Amino acid sequence: MEPILILILVGLTSLCSYLFGLKRLMWSSRHVAAALNKMLECIGMTLIFFALNLLTAVSVVLAVREIAGVFVSVYTIGDPAWLALSFLQGLIFQWWRELSSERQSQGSQTAGH
Amino acid sequence: MKGMQVCRLIGLGGVVLFLASAFTPVAHLLDIWLNAPAELAPSDAIVVLGQGVSRGVLSGDSATRASHGIALYQRGLAPLLVFSGGTSDAGPTEAAARAEFARARGVPQHAILIETKARTTREEAQREKALLQPKGVRTILLVTDSLHLLRARPLFEQAGFEVRSAPSDTFFDPDTPEERLGLMRGVLGEIVALLYYRMAGFI
Repeated sequence: MEPILILILVGLTSLCSYLFGLKRLMWSSRHVAAALNKMLECIGMTLIFFALNLLTAVSVVLAVREIAGVFVSVYTIGDPAWLALSFLQGLIFQWWRELSSERQSQGSQTAGH
Repeated sequence: MKGMQVCRLIGLGGVVLFLASAFTPVAHLLDIWLNAPAELAPSDAIVVLGQGVSRGVLSGDSATRASHGIALYQRGLAPLLVFSGGTSDAGPTEAAARAEFARARGVPQHAILIETKARTTREEAQREKALLQPKGVRTILLVTDSLHLLRARPLFEQAGFEVRSAPSDTFFDPDTPEERLGLMRGVLGEIVALLYYRMAGFI
């Protein structure tokens, strides 16, 4: 499939879902920007976990080579599974942060009353 | 909140990098920019670096490198053909499998040398030095992927060889997002490996 066609089709389904949310579900268009920000936060968190995982993996590989004298290839860190798992970690961490800050703000409101 | 802003910026960088890698020729341009041109000239030996073998079966890239080395030998560019590569399983080593491949394509046994113990590019340079310099080999045609030459070439120069690049792959302009992302992954991986070698003081 032509790359431009992929972009057009994804743009089309995005537009349809935007109109569906706006007209059918009565969601506010003002929240789209906030949703984009949250998406960027999740991806940012994923990339932070990805960097952490790769740094840890390289350190472990070098330590195993040095301490145990066993050769482990650094190329194992090139596996795409690292990125997928980092995405799951980033998503969970982000949701945990959000839920915890919601609870904390609810708690402080209750204490204020 | 400042932490979340940093997170958003990193996320934005990731999205831009993804879109640029998948839907523009940026990976191809980086590949061209980083690659060393081939310097094919008569030399003392052709050194083919290891890539991978599984139960005696050469990986695609390993076979490509070996074929390129054999082609250079058959063009008369050097009297010696050196294959590198061990194994991580019970099968034959990569170097032995490549030597068999070369013999089947008409390269005489006396022209083939193998090195099977090295596990990294740095070890390959050190072991090839021990293998070849007592035989008076000074100039080599170094056969590996063009991106890998970025790291391999200075290592072999440090080992005392005069190195001529002989990249085994050819430029291709990927036209699907999957191919472009694969190429970008290779380019970024090699840049990280190069930085690691520099930081560790290997090159």
